[in-house]
Amino acid sequence: MMKNTMKKLIMIAAGAILMQYAQAQTIDRSKEPAPGPAPVLSIKDPVIYKLPNGITLLVVEDHRLPKVTATYNIDAGPVTEGEKAGVLSLMGDMLNEGTKTMPKADFDEAVDKLGASVSLNWSGGYASALTRYFNSAFKLMGQALKDPAFTQESFDKLKSQELTGLKSQAKNAKAISARVNNALTYGKTHPDGEFETEESIQKLTLQDVKDFYARYITPSRGYLTITGDIKPAEAKALVTEVLGPWTGPKLSLEKIADSPNPGKTEIDLVDVPNAVQSEIHVVNLVNLRMGDADYFPALIANYILGGGAQSRLFMDLREKHGFTYGAYSSLGAARLQSLFDANASVRNAKTDSAVTQFLAEINRMRTEKVTDEELANANALYAGSFARGLEDPARTATFASNILINNLPADFYKTYLQKVNAVTVDDVLRIAQKYMDYDHLRIIIVGSQAQILPGLQKIGLPINFFDKYANPVTTPAAGK
Amino acid sequence: MQTVKNVFFALTAVAGISFSAQAQKVEFTEYDLPNGLHVILHTDHHAPVVAVSVMYHVGSKNEVPGRTGFAHFFEHLLFEGSENIKRGEFMKIVSANGGSNNANTTQDRTFYFEVFPSNYLETGLWLESERMMHPVINEIGVQRQDEVVKEEKRQSFDNRPYGNFINTVEKDLFTVHPYHNSVIGEMKDIDAAKLEEFKAFFKQYYVPNNAVLTIAGDIDAAKTKALIASYFGPIPGGPPVVYHKVEEPPMAKPIVDTFYDANTQIPLVAVAYRTSGHDSRDARIMQMISNLLSSGGSSRLYKKMVDDKKEALQVLAFNSTLEDYGMYIIGALPNGGTSNETLLKDIDEEVVKLQTDLISPEDYEKLENQMENNYVNANSRQLGIAENLANGYTFYHKDTNELNEELAIYKSITREDIRDAARKYLDANKRLTLYYLPGKAKAK
Repeated sequence: MMKNTMKKLIMIAAGAILMQYAQAQTIDRSKEPAPGPAPVLSIKDPVIYKLPNGITLLVVEDHRLPKVTATYNIDAGPVTEGEKAGVLSLMGDMLNEGTKTMPKADFDEAVDKLGASVSLNWSGGYASALTRYFNSAFKLMGQALKDPAFTQESFDKLKSQELTGLKSQAKNAKAISARVNNALTYGKTHPDGEFETEESIQKLTLQDVKDFYARYITPSRGYLTITGDIKPAEAKALVTEVLGPWTGPKLSLEKIADSPNPGKTEIDLVDVPNAVQSEIHVVNLVNLRMGDADYFPALIANYILGGGAQSRLFMDLREKHGFTYGAYSSLGAARLQSLFDANASVRNAKTDSAVTQFLAEINRMRTEKVTDEELANANALYAGSFARGLEDPARTATFASNILINNLPADFYKTYLQKVNAVTVDDVLRIAQKYMDYDHLRIIIVGSQAQILPGLQKIGLPINFFDKYANPVTTPAAGK
Repeated sequence: MQTVKNVFFALTAVAGISFSAQAQKVEFTEYDLPNGLHVILHTDHHAPVVAVSVMYHVGSKNEVPGRTGFAHFFEHLLFEGSENIKRGEFMKIVSANGGSNNANTTQDRTFYFEVFPSNYLETGLWLESERMMHPVINEIGVQRQDEVVKEEKRQSFDNRPYGNFINTVEKDLFTVHPYHNSVIGEMKDIDAAKLEEFKAFFKQYYVPNNAVLTIAGDIDAAKTKALIASYFGPIPGGPPVVYHKVEEPPMAKPIVDTFYDANTQIPLVAVAYRTSGHDSRDARIMQMISNLLSSGGSSRLYKKMVDDKKEALQVLAFNSTLEDYGMYIIGALPNGGTSNETLLKDIDEEVVKLQTDLISPEDYEKLENQMENNYVNANSRQLGIAENLANGYTFYHKDTNELNEELAIYKSITREDIRDAARKYLDANKRLTLYYLPGKAKAK
């Protein structure tokens, strides 16, 4: 009896020790843990339908939450507004002002009653609602696209709001920076460089809005993505009912000439006396398409320079020098020209030192090979962010529409990580030399000229002065 | 490098699974380690992603006078490295393993997180346990982050239009409660602090018994528990964290304040009231009032002031809830030449209407639908689920299940409750009127 109990106790004790072991294993804290086996990534293609009027419908079924979201995108490409600068955005706003049969108040009431979101803009629309209200919400979006009210009263209201809004941004260094960057880089007549002003908005009429609507709001080149608690066949039936009968002009992309980079690297300075930080953008134009062989090495090269919080710019300008809250870069890839842009908001006193560091880091990308470790880390980041992105059910629809819009091979995303992995340190060097155009940069600085000019002059680059609308200024105000 | 394989599911295989639309409960398990660390686990295998997060129950309200900004400063300092992670390596390890990470600080808590591909769960646990167990707090880290935080303050507040609005409201609504101070704090306080003070602050607040570890995503719960025991078990617990809420005396008379912001050209005029904390039913009611006033084109203030009278560029009404109190803020930006007084008068009319008349059954139905819609959207990502679970435990009397109960609370709120809450909190004699004006402050 006694013996048996003892035995039992020992067994229990042994069991307890084993349990303990399972609960807390000895680990070596001094080393980074090894990862588990890589998860298998599954990319579930959306169901794609093509409507006779030109709309491509992409449906991603996901029943985890009782909601459905629709996004409509018209691929008009960049559109030149010219003298009518600001008309497209105003036209988009006008689509939210009710329909021919439903004044704005009734329309808004109908949307809000569902607890839904419905909004329109010049390149499409958005509708999101609980599953049981989605059909109603989608119909409201469709009605607003096809049959906007376009009343003079709404137009006058939005125009006055637009003018007030412009005024509200007039002293905002970030807003000024965004405007002059594009204007100086692309040129003020380029669709990406032109911008609205008080004068251009004042001149707009309701007829201008109607004209641009007639030209650009159309089923042609339209991509409609529906994601969520809905079956593809149901989505197709709904879209066919609401947007199937819709007709509109056939869109073709504008032919836009390339803009030049400066002959020699220059500083372009815009004075905003109230600024406590300088907005610095180091930019040049690039011609890079997503389908190019250079695309994947360009992703990696940019990431190593300034894609994240452990890239060179962040580590140097923030962590090493403490000049800024963050420094980053981006390298665009699009059907048309886009930008290489390295940027930071830097306190006045360190503006010139930050410019010097930007130049040094760009130069280093072009003259020295990155390390194998940097390359491996960048590859791992892309692999991880690709996997993390799949948490968003709409991601696979974005993949599919990107393939269609950019004319990419069908397996572009399925072989994405293989292509990322194939990038070499020599590729990165070549890409930096080709796309980070050290000798033809614009260093565009928006800040308090009185405080930053003396430092900038010491860098020894030519300095051009501009006003807040990218007009050249001959006599710098703070040169005294 | 990871091997990546693409697997294509037949669509029909997925279409067969259909969840009941209403049964959208977030499942979880929770327990305490012997050192007091509270652990919450949520399993979801839909995507190969895991969120690892730690919520420390420390924010700017735990700071002592003359040492503001400490909690936020630690948000930066605790990325500087640990005994086993060299300075500058923390974020590099995250990205080199395909993860993303960040942290944020409020008046009440600090939240650190990583999101990784799910096979890097252990890396996330290692990083967060190193941070809790033995971070390196030294002069070089303090100096560097001191400069970075000053840049953050310039970028996020001093160079941004309306950047100092909320800080001004807090300063005026709270006189003795530490909510008076901004989260980012006074730069001179960090400058003056000695290294020993930072170390003491860490010892006091960044202990397992003052933290919640929440893991959400593609995990095996049993294996995860074992790993958590290994990484977090050896961290010693600390003395209980004691916090005494400072009672803010009722406002004796209305306050009027003016703030000048050189980055703006359009005024922002607002009224602000002190309300109850997170965990009260009243906080939910005030949320419904916000929707009624300013959410959507048919909301009362928007329709009246932006659409009908066209006198406002923008209206806002929101309940900023904190642990001890809340702030209810209603404001507008004028369109064209509308005067601030006109805007205030229109706001007041709507407040009085809420206090006098019951909202219509149609408006009530609208609110219910909006609340349900918000609820469905609140838990769509693993990181969001992790934070919501940790919030429940930290701020709702250890009720981790709070996120599942929220909708039922909203459904229990009546039209009378809405009227009564408007009467109780939106008292014209106990409020701040803030004129947030363009330009430079004149010498007083």
